[in-house]
Amino acid sequence: MSFLRRYPKRFFWAAFFIGLVASLILDILWLRSDILHYHFPFQYVPQFFAIFGLLGCMLLILIAKGMGYFISKDEDYYEKDSRRQV
Amino acid sequence: MTDWIHPGLVIFLGAFLIPWIKWRRVRLAYFLLLPLVGLALLFLTSSGYFGQIPAWPGALHKWQIPFLDYSLELGRIDKMTMVFAYIYLIAAFCMNLYAFGVKNNWEHVAAMIYLGSSLGAIFAGDLFTLFFWLEIMSWAPVFLIWFRGTRKAMGAAIRYVLWHHFSGACILAGVVIHLYHTGSIELTRLPWGWGGEYLGYNLMLLGFIINSATTPFHSWLSDTYSEATPSGSIYMTAFTTKTAIYCLIRTFPGVELLMWLGAIQAVFALFLAVLENDGRRLCSYHIISQIGYMVAGVGIGTEMAINGAISHALCHIIYNALLYMGAGCVLVVVGTAKFHELGGLYKYMPVSFWLYMVGGFSISGFPLFNGFISKVMTIEAAELIHNAPIYLLLEGATVGTFLHTGLKLPWNMWLQGKDEPPPNIRAKLKDSAFNTPIHMLIGMSILAFLCIFMGVYPKILYDQLPFPVEFIPFTTTRVFSIMQMFIFTFLGFWFLRRLVTGYPTYTLDTDWPFRMAGRKLIWFCEEPLMGFARLMDRKVMEVVDLIVWISKNPVAAFEIKRKEMLLSGQRLLSRPGSAGLCNQALEEEKRKYPGELPGLTLGASIIFILFSFLLYLALYLFAIP
Repeated sequence: MSFLRRYPKRFFWAAFFIGLVASLILDILWLRSDILHYHFPFQYVPQFFAIFGLLGCMLLILIAKGMGYFISKDEDYYEKDSRRQV
Repeated sequence: MTDWIHPGLVIFLGAFLIPWIKWRRVRLAYFLLLPLVGLALLFLTSSGYFGQIPAWPGALHKWQIPFLDYSLELGRIDKMTMVFAYIYLIAAFCMNLYAFGVKNNWEHVAAMIYLGSSLGAIFAGDLFTLFFWLEIMSWAPVFLIWFRGTRKAMGAAIRYVLWHHFSGACILAGVVIHLYHTGSIELTRLPWGWGGEYLGYNLMLLGFIINSATTPFHSWLSDTYSEATPSGSIYMTAFTTKTAIYCLIRTFPGVELLMWLGAIQAVFALFLAVLENDGRRLCSYHIISQIGYMVAGVGIGTEMAINGAISHALCHIIYNALLYMGAGCVLVVVGTAKFHELGGLYKYMPVSFWLYMVGGFSISGFPLFNGFISKVMTIEAAELIHNAPIYLLLEGATVGTFLHTGLKLPWNMWLQGKDEPPPNIRAKLKDSAFNTPIHMLIGMSILAFLCIFMGVYPKILYDQLPFPVEFIPFTTTRVFSIMQMFIFTFLGFWFLRRLVTGYPTYTLDTDWPFRMAGRKLIWFCEEPLMGFARLMDRKVMEVVDLIVWISKNPVAAFEIKRKEMLLSGQRLLSRPGSAGLCNQALEEEKRKYPGELPGLTLGASIIFILFSFLLYLALYLFAIP
């Protein structure tokens, strides 16, 4: 507990990487021993949810940034050229 | 009339008393008491004091009032109305606590009218009553936006009411067409399809879709909620859209179109959220995205999907109010919720950060938080109908939700890797860890407690759902897959965290064509239309002036005109400059005009009169058949 209080960042990262590695190993073990039950065949691809999470997140950001090239405007976009000032 | 007391009506009428109570403490106590009174009435109803509520789909029918040839039903009570009403009132109590510090009494009035009218819509048993309460619901939030007082808020309120009156008109038209064909105004499941005979139902569906902020008509939500007052916006997150979801569940369950719209919306809103710079606008896009799950659940239409949609709507009210309160805290304390001006606030507002994070974990669907128990139900329903695209869209939306509300917003607002906020923000903060007003924290704490309690003990919610639930959310497969997904989402976020910091931009949405069309219409009225009107005005006045000028001395006038024409003819034929002298004489003549009027001789007068008679005769003989 004192370690958590003194080094919260280090604690966070340690926990994160332990979780990451554990999830990768458990996925293979549990898929083999038939503990995980899914509905679609593609969910049985090893590490499907890891890939889905990582790619989904990165694609979301990158595609949105690409969209931003067209739809990101100045903050006063709608107010800019209205001549009547209230 | 005494066999039941309508909790919505009590709150609706009670709201008007608030500003007339002189003592501030009594007034605030009364303000807190209103939802509690509503809760007490609900408790009496559900405990069978006003009559036993039969099992779903049976309902208790109260307050049937004859109106014209129809019977209006103000209180139709069944399992679904009860669970919605309970959550509305519990959430409203926490919201009232949060809004405790607001100085403007009329804001409290508007909020309570809003709550009362949404309860009225929930309890409505026929389409007329539903329409009546929906119309009040479209007006009450306008004041919650107006009281912000900024110019942007004024515009946003007008746009809000335009959208909602349009949807209200659609619903009314649908109701009237339905009534014409069937003669019934009962609020029940309606048929749906493409084609002319379903026009009324399509109109009603359109109205509900706009009210529930379904893509492509979602833009009013992010546009207006982010402009409302900090505490007013929290009421708005809960009631309008969830009431519309309630109406969709009642009227159009199992419409396949809704399934696709909902799933697409769940993901589409997230793309816009990536670009968002304002904390409250970002949360608004998450409301839209979460509504996608509910709409998809309604569209799937199986018992499990409907249960999922209802439970998600209810959990959503709680955690989304919490998220909005978290963002609202920052807005209240430091005066801005824009990411590019914030960061490093953690040291000064840690409690509101952690309470916000409870909401963030809930909306993402972490196990043991209430988003999980409702979200997996809808996703499971999509899996059970073996629809892979819908499943992937909804699961992808989970990733994006965690990315934004769990990571992007807290990172940008409270952390950004800084220990201290920017100096101009720091100047507004006290040197303590409790900058947020205590009543706000109490309101948030109750909601955060509910988030965790419902997440740990889902039975309390599942037992209230209309269809029996044989669903266990916590299976190894589900918990494991969602945790693995979140761990890797975090990894992706950490790689690209520089890309999701805020920039002072405004993101265009699907309302761009409407707003541009409106702007073009105003431009068209002001420029070409008014220009044409001015031109017409000038031309008509010129003709009138000419007639007045001629009538002063017709003989001289015609002489001048004749000379002018001759002169212009000469100018055309001869070299330029040679007609100068003649021109000068003409100018002189014009200056003297009208000059002396020539006297008419007797003979000329008689000839003139005879000529007039002749003209009249000719007219009489030839022109009139």
